[in-house]
Amino acid sequence: MIEDLSLHLADLVLNSLRAGAGHVDILIAKRGETLMLEVKDDGRGMSEGELERALDPFFTTKDISDGIGLGLALVQQTAEELGGRLQVDSAPGRGTRVRLSIPYHHPDRPPLGDVAGTLVPLMLSNPQVEFSLRLADDQRTWMLTQQDIRAAQDEAGPRALFVLEDKVRAGLKTMGLKEDG
Amino acid sequence: MKPEDLRRIREQAKERLRLRAGEARVKLVVGMGTSGLAAGARQVLKAIMDELARRGIDDVIVTQTGERGLAAKEPIVEVHEGGRITVYGEVDEALARRIVAEHVVNGRAISDRVLEVREVGA
Repeated sequence: MIEDLSLHLADLVLNSLRAGAGHVDILIAKRGETLMLEVKDDGRGMSEGELERALDPFFTTKDISDGIGLGLALVQQTAEELGGRLQVDSAPGRGTRVRLSIPYHHPDRPPLGDVAGTLVPLMLSNPQVEFSLRLADDQRTWMLTQQDIRAAQDEAGPRALFVLEDKVRAGLKTMGLKEDG
Repeated sequence: MKPEDLRRIREQAKERLRLRAGEARVKLVVGMGTSGLAAGARQVLKAIMDELARRGIDDVIVTQTGERGLAAKEPIVEVHEGGRITVYGEVDEALARRIVAEHVVNGRAISDRVLEVREVGA
């Protein structure tokens, strides 16, 4: 089992970047008793064959051109081990949406981990991509948009990293999503 | 809007364009395939971004690659400057900070931690 779920999020975001995405939307949601992680992009998408290979735990990285789909097999493994679900919607030219749904209170569920410290450096080191991060539960939604990222860069320059990480941590706290939970 | 506001906005836009056009002095590439991530590449990326921010360095581009076929040596960090690529292997957070301090700032490679140096067509 993976050590924390932010590792899955990072892997999925990296897949989107490798697929040439211009927009990447990340969602962490607690819906009822389900924890949902979703990464959606407008990259070049995968054919059925590529998707099958990406979900094959025995694939070698050489089987997948440009590395799209790397890490998906690990996400699927997490879904299976926790009795959850992995949904992948992808087609060439139509982008990819990967959604992992797992039981929130499963005793073996890995913690969320350092979501802010994982995602914010990825966002800031890829200025050519528009990111959004949405945190949601059954009643509320919290959102970090590309405008927030730009505003932080304009106001704080290189220190935008700290500003944005604090913002994301505050969002996680507001939504009751903890690093170790 | 005051003239100085306009100038500031223009300078910021120019700066973003400069960075996007790849005219940064140095590019740092962190190997972040699944094995790189498992080996701590995200902590390395975070440490690099953090160190650059702390020092107020803004003429460096940081980016990521996928698997490099060097899984045993991950996390990998490449320093691209001019026509030269210096590759560091088994980078941890401490080494990542040293790469910024010694290589990026002072221009001296940390020779005992370098895996290879490649000269590319400048």
